[in-house]
Amino acid sequence: MANINRNLTGHAACWFSGVLTLTICLSIIVFLIIKGANVISWQFLTENPQPSLQEALSGGILIPIIGTILLVGLGTLFAFPWALATAIYLSEYGGDNQWVNSLRAGIDVLAGVPTIVFAIFGLAIFTHPGLSYFSTMVEGVANAKAFGRSFLVSAFTMAMMVLPFVTKSMEEAIRAVPQTYKEAAYAIGISKWRTIYKVVLPAATTGIITGIILGVGRIAGDTAIVWLCLGGSMSMTGPQPWWIPQNWLDTMQNTGSTLTSYVYYSSPAGEGNSPNKAFGAGLVLIIIILALNSLVDYLGKFTRVKEG
Amino acid sequence: MELGKDSTLATGLRKVTSVKGISSSKHWSMKENLIEKLLLAFTLLSSILIFFIIFFVISRGFPVLQASGIHFLTTGGWDKQFTTAWLAGAKQNVATFGALPLISGTFYTTLGALLVAVPFGLGCAIFLTEMCPAWLRKPLESAVRLLAAIPSVIYGLIGLIVIVPFIARNFISNEMALKMIKICALDGTSLLAGIIVLSMMIGPVFITLSSDALMAVPRRYKEASIALGVSHWRTITRVMLPVARKGIMTGAILATGRAIGEAIALSMVAGSVANLPSPAHGLVFFLEPVRTLASTIVDNAEGMGVVSCESALFACGSLLLLSSVMLSVLARLVSSRVSREVR
Repeated sequence: MANINRNLTGHAACWFSGVLTLTICLSIIVFLIIKGANVISWQFLTENPQPSLQEALSGGILIPIIGTILLVGLGTLFAFPWALATAIYLSEYGGDNQWVNSLRAGIDVLAGVPTIVFAIFGLAIFTHPGLSYFSTMVEGVANAKAFGRSFLVSAFTMAMMVLPFVTKSMEEAIRAVPQTYKEAAYAIGISKWRTIYKVVLPAATTGIITGIILGVGRIAGDTAIVWLCLGGSMSMTGPQPWWIPQNWLDTMQNTGSTLTSYVYYSSPAGEGNSPNKAFGAGLVLIIIILALNSLVDYLGKFTRVKEG
Repeated sequence: MELGKDSTLATGLRKVTSVKGISSSKHWSMKENLIEKLLLAFTLLSSILIFFIIFFVISRGFPVLQASGIHFLTTGGWDKQFTTAWLAGAKQNVATFGALPLISGTFYTTLGALLVAVPFGLGCAIFLTEMCPAWLRKPLESAVRLLAAIPSVIYGLIGLIVIVPFIARNFISNEMALKMIKICALDGTSLLAGIIVLSMMIGPVFITLSSDALMAVPRRYKEASIALGVSHWRTITRVMLPVARKGIMTGAILATGRAIGEAIALSMVAGSVANLPSPAHGLVFFLEPVRTLASTIVDNAEGMGVVSCESALFACGSLLLLSSVMLSVLARLVSSRVSREVR
């Protein structure tokens, strides 16, 4: 009897937590969609944010969207070659000895570091005057000092943050390439690097792209690094107009806004108190991340089918 | 497949026999060597980065850690000290700081979130892998994964719009707020709100990892147990959970790491006051505002640039970094193969 009771309680508890989780998930999703969909309109997506305390006058989210795209692009640009080189070394050249495993352990520990620590690290490193190329110099202070906040700085910090995740994913993809491919290439006299470049990497393309997309999702969703290394301004602070090619470099050396910092800024916790706009921007962000996730799923299926 | 112009069958065959690429062509082997060295350089850069970060953060935090000594861990008064240091600017060399409220804030929020998320998460993982009707499984799985992918700032926003006003309306009475007014303001941003939001954030991570671990239990273990006439529930608790133990513990460790490092969402909902909640206040304990180490860095980021403020923030960063390194080592000890991927 006691057994049956325990069985029942156990089952009931599991059902309860399962249903509770599902309810919470659904209510969060529905809540975000309802709150966000009210705000999102063509106008909301294509207007610049305006500094205004009145919600109706506070404009749209064009600049934050562009900021997110710019940051993701730059971050990927920094992270991709670095992660790919590391992944190739670890999977193809490194082997499985103590030395390579300790290299791997270092990268693994990096994966657990909180993003806020990366954020102050990046901010402090890039205020060094020698690295002022990444941001701008601070004018009018006694000791030479760089501003330490810009798209380039945040992109580089983001690259450090996503590096372990992207590397891990790419390494797995490269490892999954069948040994026979490589042996075939060696047998017809192709050097090791040429084999990697012409045979292994093309065969691992989908896995490598999956890694990149994972990184992109993390960069797009991170707030701590953006808030510290990019600041909370709502417009591009470089020379205007920021979109003409002569100003591109300056734009990247200056600060701006992304969707996450816009959400933080517009929430009741930030200065521009317009929570409805924040929900709108949040929904746009979630849609972007959701699209990236489904792309990962799709690529995953594609790889499995090809291998199977 | 395209062959290199300078490659011949002979050199190729020699290459097969000599694995490390000692070929007859000098030019070739130099290029190969160069590429390998280049790749090694990138790899070294990635694995040395963590040591560089640890060194840099601790050395920047060292002045405050040294000046405060053990008091950094055992005394309070952060907000006042920070304002003083900020106003003193460059005139003052290094101030002493007491981070006890921040450390206990981190501890209480993390512990609370774990106490909520781990039992429910484990229940949900068992439900997902063992009891769920087939038609419900896919939607539940994708919902959990979607939740794991939602950025923390959006959780903060939801917490601030929904949970904080709910707490303020239902749990905080005027008398209570009046009684506490000397210590802190009770406005709904509280330890409780922090715990709720944090457990919503780490729950999906834990569910994903522990259901993966349960899914990886070989089917024949379960079948053998059922065939012996052991009930389904007993099979789950006596066979499947022990086998999946490592994976579940790793999931809990990773969830802890995420909870400790969470900055933005907690700075939004947990009150942003370096207040040390006292269990002596009874249940009001949960309604008092707290601030964690990580959200302190976000909230006080304007102090970067003033030497002692910056050093104090880096001291917080060092504590965060040390705990994350310790958790990583623990995760490695618990299972030799750690899957860090939470999509």
